[in-house]
Amino acid sequence: MSTQATATTTAKTSSLATSAKFRTFAITFAIAGTVIYLLCLQFNWPLFTYHPAVNRVELWWGPSRSGEGPAMYWYGWTATSLIAGFVVSLLATLLPESTAKKIPLILVWLLPILAIPYLIWDLRQWWFHP
Amino acid sequence: MDLISVNTFWTIWLLVHLVLSVGLIGALTHQAVACVMPVRQLAAPPGFVTRFRAVPAAGYATAICILWVLTFIAGSYIYTKYRIYIRIPIEQAQYWKTQGFFDFKEHVASIGLVLLPAYWYFWKNAQNPEYDTPRKVVTVYLAVACWFLFIVGHVLNNVRGFGS
Repeated sequence: MSTQATATTTAKTSSLATSAKFRTFAITFAIAGTVIYLLCLQFNWPLFTYHPAVNRVELWWGPSRSGEGPAMYWYGWTATSLIAGFVVSLLATLLPESTAKKIPLILVWLLPILAIPYLIWDLRQWWFHP
Repeated sequence: MDLISVNTFWTIWLLVHLVLSVGLIGALTHQAVACVMPVRQLAAPPGFVTRFRAVPAAGYATAICILWVLTFIAGSYIYTKYRIYIRIPIEQAQYWKTQGFFDFKEHVASIGLVLLPAYWYFWKNAQNPEYDTPRKVVTVYLAVACWFLFIVGHVLNNVRGFGS
């Protein structure tokens, strides 16, 4: 390709890319999804628990049981944040455009950055394990 | 499952996860560098670095979203076996920090996933200066995250992965 072309070219814009409602949805999903994921982690809110050794799925949080191997919560946390984030973002699209435009864009990137020190703190049991 | 052994089956999925992640890391790195250091004009014949960043970055956005989702799905699929056959021996060997980095990896991958619609939207509206800062920061964030995910996965594979 020609190196004289500018590095950032404008792609053809689809109808989704020009939709104000999708803008609201996408921005809200990034913000709400990040916050909800961190809340799921903090308060342990998996939508379901998976027990891989016995291939069993249990709704909400469930403990590891003797003879059934470990329990996995990450799928459940991710599912909670995707579904709840989706619902919150859909509701946000119902807001008037003037209100939706007030959702701060900075939160889209600031929250994921702030999530990093939180995650490091949340995982401290591994860093300082005796 | 009769045609191939169980080990071969999961090894193929691990390799699928690897191949998808290599495509993702390449695309995201090109895009992030092009975004942060765009080529404006050439005063001399282009070198390697100039050619590396002189890519049509906006055209990568959809492919990157698809690759992130596919890599995420493949990783989620093999995670079930990781939890039993990799994590338990890692804990028995008391590689606590290695375990911590894997947990860190899973959280970063999920946060990256929820950023994708906004990332895609920012790139599809790259001509709008309102989105310049979020587009650049989210792209660099995803690129750094992808490198982190890749390196942690690679180290874990070295600790106890392929062939173990």
